[in-house]
Formats: sequence, C-alpha cells, structure tokens
Amino acid sequence: MTSYLELSSINKSYGNFTALDNVSLSVEKGEFVTFLGPSGSGKTTTLMIVAGFEKASGGSVQVGGRSISELAPHERNIGIVFQNYALFPHKTAAENVYFPLQMRGVSRGRGLRQAEEMLSLVGLKGFGHRHPKELSGGQQQRVALARALVFEPSLLLLDEPLGALDKNLREQMQIEIKRIQRSLGVTTVFVTHDQSEAMSMSDRIVVFEKGRIEQCAAPLDIYHCPQTSFVAAFIGESNLIPATVANAAARTAENPVLGSFEYASADNRPTDGQAVTLLIRPEHIKLSRNPVENRKNVRMIVDTIVNYGDNALVIGRAGDIPMRVRVLGADVVIIKEGEECCISWAPDSVFVITK
Amino acid sequence: MGSSLSRLTEKTNVWPWLLLAPLGIYMLIFFVVPLIDVAIMSVTDPRVSLVNYQRVLTGALYQRVFLNTFMTAAFVTVCCLAVGYPLAYLMAHSKPRTAMFILLLVTMSFWTSFLVRTYSWMVLLGNNGPLIALLQMIGINDTPQLLFTRFSSTLAMVHILAPYMIMSIFSVMKKIDPALIRSAESLGARGWSLFRHVYLPLTAPGIANGCVLVFVICLGFYVTPVLLGSPREQMIAGLIGHQIDEFLAFGMGSAMAMVLLFITFVILTIYHRRFGLDKLWG
Amino acid sequence: MNTFMRFAGILVTIFIAAPLVIVVPMSFSSASSLQFPPPGYWLGYYRAYFTDLDWLIPTWNSILIASATTVLTMLLVVPATFALVRHKFRGKSVADLMMLMPLAVPHIVMAVGYYSYLGDLGLVHSHFGVILAHTCLSVPIAFLVLSANLKGFDRNLERAALSLGASPTKTFIHVTLPILRPGLIISALFAFVQSFDETVVAIFISGRDAETLPRKMFDSIRQEADPVIAVISTLLFFLVLVGIAAPYFISALRSRAPKPSRSPAGAH
Repeated sequence: MTSYLELSSINKSYGNFTALDNVSLSVEKGEFVTFLGPSGSGKTTTLMIVAGFEKASGGSVQVGGRSISELAPHERNIGIVFQNYALFPHKTAAENVYFPLQMRGVSRGRGLRQAEEMLSLVGLKGFGHRHPKELSGGQQQRVALARALVFEPSLLLLDEPLGALDKNLREQMQIEIKRIQRSLGVTTVFVTHDQSEAMSMSDRIVVFEKGRIEQCAAPLDIYHCPQTSFVAAFIGESNLIPATVANAAARTAENPVLGSFEYASADNRPTDGQAVTLLIRPEHIKLSRNPVENRKNVRMIVDTIVNYGDNALVIGRAGDIPMRVRVLGADVVIIKEGEECCISWAPDSVFVITK
Repeated sequence: MGSSLSRLTEKTNVWPWLLLAPLGIYMLIFFVVPLIDVAIMSVTDPRVSLVNYQRVLTGALYQRVFLNTFMTAAFVTVCCLAVGYPLAYLMAHSKPRTAMFILLLVTMSFWTSFLVRTYSWMVLLGNNGPLIALLQMIGINDTPQLLFTRFSSTLAMVHILAPYMIMSIFSVMKKIDPALIRSAESLGARGWSLFRHVYLPLTAPGIANGCVLVFVICLGFYVTPVLLGSPREQMIAGLIGHQIDEFLAFGMGSAMAMVLLFITFVILTIYHRRFGLDKLWG
Repeated sequence: MNTFMRFAGILVTIFIAAPLVIVVPMSFSSASSLQFPPPGYWLGYYRAYFTDLDWLIPTWNSILIASATTVLTMLLVVPATFALVRHKFRGKSVADLMMLMPLAVPHIVMAVGYYSYLGDLGLVHSHFGVILAHTCLSVPIAFLVLSANLKGFDRNLERAALSLGASPTKTFIHVTLPILRPGLIISALFAFVQSFDETVVAIFISGRDAETLPRKMFDSIRQEADPVIAVISTLLFFLVLVGIAAPYFISALRSRAPKPSRSPAGAH
C-alpha cells in the first residue's frame, strides 16, 4: 500500500531544546489520522511542519510521492482548519469559502456558486451572505471546514478545532466532520489532546509524547495493546502494576505484594527477569466478597466509591498499589467504603508493557 | 524562505532593518540633528564656552524662572490630581449612559487644541466676562484683575491638562476587578479604610502615570502661560521663546532649552525604570 | 466616600465643560470685544471669517500642511510598525523607545532646534519646512495607535490565507490591509490633528509665507483678542464633536439597516 502522506525522520530543535525527535509516519490516502498527546508533546509542531509554517531541522515531508519540504505554505495545496477558525472578518461566509478559488483564478460568479454548494454540504445552506460575527461558534467551524475543502486539497489538517465548543456541539461536530471527510475521501490529520475524541473519530491514532511518537495504531489496538506505559496511562483508565517476568514461556510475572500473575499478551517479547508494567483496565476487574474460581484474586481495601448511577468507580488499595475498578451501578451495593473486598480478573485482561 | 510575513523566524534577518530604515534615517536627519544643533548652539553662541550655562544655572533671574516653573508644574499636577481623580471615579462608577457622557466631555476637551481652550479661559476670565459678571452679581464691586495673572495661567493649565490625568487614572480604574472590592468589603473594610488600603493602591499606577505626564508637559508649557500668564512671572518655555524671538539670543535660548530637556529626561528616565515608558502614552 | 466622590465629580464635570461651551455664544456675539453676556447676536463674525483672506489663507495652509504631514508620517510609520511588532531583532527595545522620543521633548526645544536648523537649510517660513518638522512630531502618536492595532492582529488569518493559496503579497493586499484599515485611518487621523493643532513649533518656523492657523490665532490673541477667534474656536470645537460622535452614529445606523441578501436564488 503506497502511503500518501509520508513524514521521514522529522527533527525540530529550538536551540538546545528538542521539540521533535525522529518523527516518522505514513498516512494512506483517505485515512483519518489523529495526532494525540498532551500540550507540548509536539503534535501541533508536526502539523505546522506539514503545513509549512514551521521548518523542520531535519527530515522531509512527502505528499503523493513528491517532497513538499521546500514548498512555501501557499504552494502546498493543503486545507487547514485553525483552532480559532481564522475566518476573514471583512468577508461574508460565501466570500470566505470563495477565497481559495479566487486565488486560483476562478471567476467570481462561478466561484461564489461553488462556495454556496460547499456551504450546503456542511449544512449551512443559505448562510453565505452572513459575516463571521453573525455566526455562532459551530457555524463558523463549518464555514472554516468548507473553506478548507472547497479547492479539493491533497490534505486536510485540523488543529484542535473543537476546543472552544461545548460538549454537545463538540460531539455533533465530531460526527459532522467524520461524515464530510468520508464523503469527500480527503486524507485528514486531526490534532487533539482529548483522547475520547481521538478514539471516536480516527482510523489510526498517533500518540505523541515529548516530541516522539509513542505508538501509531488503530484506536482499539491502542486501547487493548498499548506499546508503552505512557500510552497505557494516557488512553482510557488503567491500573498499572510494576512486576518482574517470572517465566516468559509460561507467561507469568511476579509482583512482590500481589504474587504471581498470568498474562495473555505483551507488546514485545519479554525476557525472564525483565522489569515490566502490567496493565489491567478497570472495567475488566470483577468485584466480589469472596475469591472467584479460575481467576487471579487479590484482596483490596475500599477507600472511595463514586457512584455515577449507571456505573460506579471503586478506588482502593491492594497492598500498597492503588487500584481502580469499574462496576455496574447495581453491583456496587455489595461493598462499603472502608471495607475489604476481593477483586479478580482473567489472564486475558492482563497486558504486559516492557517500556 | 524569503520575506514571508507569516514566518515567525528568530534569526536576525535584513527585512526588519529595511522596513525601519526610511523612518530611522528621516528621524536622524530631521529630529536628532536639530537637537544636536541646539546643544551645539548652547556652547558656541556667542563664543565657544560654557558661559551660557553659567548664566542660566547661576543667574538670579533664571533661577527664579526655573523655580517658578517647577512650583507651578507641581501645583498644577496636584490640582489636576484633585480634580481628575473624582471625575475618573465618577466615570468608572456611574451608569453606562452617564459614564459615556462624561467620557465624551473629557474626550472633547482632550481633542480641543490648547490654543482654543486657552482662548476660552480668556473669555471666561476677561474683565467683561461671565466670571466677573458673576462676582459683581453677588455684590463684589471692586473686582480684581483675573487675566494675565498667575491665577489665570494656572487655572487654565489645570483645565487643559486635567484630561491627561483623568484618562490615565480612568484606564486603570476600569481594569480593577469589582470582585476585589467586594471581597475586601466582605473581609470588613468599609468607607475610608476600604479606599485607603484597597482602592487607592490599586489605582496608584494610574496616578503615577498621570502625574508624570502632567508634570512633564507643564514644565515645557508655552502657549498658555505666555497668553494668559503674568509677564512678570514667566515659565521656562516662555523665557526661551522670548530669548529667541526678541533678542535672537540663540546661545542662551539653547542653553535653557538643554537644561529643560535634561530635567525632562531625568524625570522620564526615573519613570521608565520603575514603570516602563511605553505605558505613559498607552 | 462614595457620595463625596460623586459630588466632587459633578463639580469637576461642570469645570471641564464650561470653557468648552462658552465660546459658542461668544462667536455669535455682536460686540467688537470680548463681552459676556453678549449685547446682541449676529452672524457678522462668521461672515468675517469666511471672507477674510487673512484668515482663510492660514486655514488652507494648515489643512495643506496637515494633509502632507499625514501622508509622509504614514509612509514612514507603517513599515516601521510592521518591523517593530512582527520581528525580533537585536536593538528592538531601543528602537521601540526611539519611536517615542519626540513625545519626550518639549515642543519649545524642538522649536529652537528647527528655527536654527531649518533656517540653515533655507526652509523656514516654508510649507515644506513645517511639514518636515510636523512629521517628526506626529510619528510617535501614529506609531502608538498603529502598533496597538497591529499587536491585536490575529496572525492565523494570514496563515489561513497562505494555506488557501494566497502568496505573501496577495495575503497582504487581500487580508492584512483590509483588516488593518480602521487602525490605519485612526492613526492617520491622529497624525492629522496633531499637525493641524500644533502651535509652538509653527509659531517659530511657519512665518508669513506658510502661516498656519494656530500661529495666526496665537498672534491675533496676543495682539487684540479678535472675536473671529471665537468663531474659529466654535468651528473647531464642532469638528471635534462630529469627529468623536460620528463613529457612534455610523455603527448605530449600520446595525439598523436591513442586511442585503446576497445568496443566489433558491438558497432557502
């Protein structure tokens, strides 16, 4: 499969500070890829390098097989939706969407008609004559999207575009953006720090941390098989237990307090005696008064119960290791805060992380 | 790479210097050089020596004029503060309509030239003017001469410079978070103590700003003291003008001008160290 | 504390307003000297102003000089502002301060300097000389206004334009300038008023040939306090009033006007 967007060994330093360290990535045509990571992880810097607003210290960017590293931003034919939308305040919505066509020599009459069509596609039929200040946040978002797509760019880049919207609007826009992207088939890179957003929208997620790519995989792969403890902790909730591999062939590990564990899978091949981290998702842990057969059982002291109605979060300690357990609301009635209880899980739920 | 406007490069490149060059060269030729001219004249006219400075700094007449200017400037500054602070307070705490009306008035005053406002005071304080008429109405028949006195000159200067003080203080007052005041009140501060310990310190930067601005402008004030003031109690600017106009004594005039400039610079430098000069005219 | 402040505030308001207002009735006064209350009202002095070349020529000089000063100031200040707001370079903070220098120098000092310097260049009593001097004096204020505007400019707008295919030049023309236009206009306005009202330097260097309105007024006030000055004062006062009130009226009118529908047929 030939890649459409190729980042090769991108490095970026500001003086002594390394912002990006050997970032390499292949994105296929039509794919929706999310750059996910905390602030300062390098995701926005990478995006800006693809867009051409930052210059990499090393490495190259290729689109459709051709290098674009030497091209100025206005030569790259890439659509960008900025965090604050950056709609031209002195132009109407239709004129905003017409602008890229105008720059490409399309006549005003034809261009405005195309702009209106694009606005209809994003659900803003009839809004063309309005100025940005007469539009709500969500509407401005859509205009920005229309403007970035109307000239059929080779790539669509979105820099945390949904940050300013309230929860319901954000979820609505997530679905909208996905729908439009699918129907147009445009290769898309989406930057966010919100992991649930990344999980719900992406074909693949690229997890950034401190200027490096920690993992690049499909959402469920990242969730169930995180490659590093950072990814494990960043995505979803997790219980991380330090342990040593007892027998790699038999897939067992040891923790001084909790004893012996069986595990089902690991990110790499662990070796005997290697120090690793065990990952168990809170929703895979069962809560009971007494040990359960065919499962690993551990005693836990319950510190806090947070009941959300449909589910509950039980926070406690197994030995000195903090544990989090997610149970159905109904199941939590069997225990009380301060009491001891039994938690258990199947070997399938244990994932070994070597990094 | 070129000279793209959107590139945020930190490298030193030629472009900013190219953009600054026209203005820089212009200011050098038409601003810096004339000032250097003044400095040179002060030590070369009538002959190459420091005699002008000697006379300016030690002569009785000049010392009196400098002192008078300083005292007047200080007095005007205090009056502007006394007058300006309540008005700024009123503007900051009135209903929006009222505040806007007062702001309009102050802005109008601010934009009306010194000359027009000076003339207005001549009308107001003239011997046939409304103020005299008012005094006569309440029975004072032996009305004093109001114009061409220190009183008229000072009063007009206060009126002309008050908007600077008002705007300086108001812009600071506007930014005070009302929540700060309310929390101070909830902690027990009331009335005078609330004002003294909370509000006044918060407005201090505006007060400092306004005072320096008014003082410095007043030191170099020409138009109003010359038109409205007493000829016997001149201020520096008027004296400098007199030297140049009447006597063509460029040397003396320049020396006085340099001393005035020096004093102004010292005050502004002290302000800059403490607050930053860009805030002064912000 | 509150009520004291408010009461004092009201008194001060009257103090500020009175002198401004007083010139208006005086301009209509029929007395030949300053008299209040005026014995009668007529438009004689208005007629006198508008027919007297001795007043009209200085007025025209001032308009001419202020216009030319504004053009020259903007030509110099606009690129310099871009340099100072958008670029980092060694010596930038010094350059920033230098821009404000003319504000720190008392006009009388500049007047002495220009009298001698422009005199040496043969430019005293000429329009050109005054324009050169006034430009220096207008630069700081024009810079302050424009740089405040430019600092608040959203750079993403330019990045967006570039990403959409506009070259840097096209971005400047289609996006930067139009959005900056209000700031440019206000900056120019400040420069214009600064030059038009400037008195001290004009007194010394504008002379008979390029006499500005403030200089003529100054001489006139000094000599005989001509009531025509009340006319000029009133006219200037109303110009300021219009200038300040105009933006409010324009935006009030705009918000009430019906929005033109530019969407093509069937877009509902």
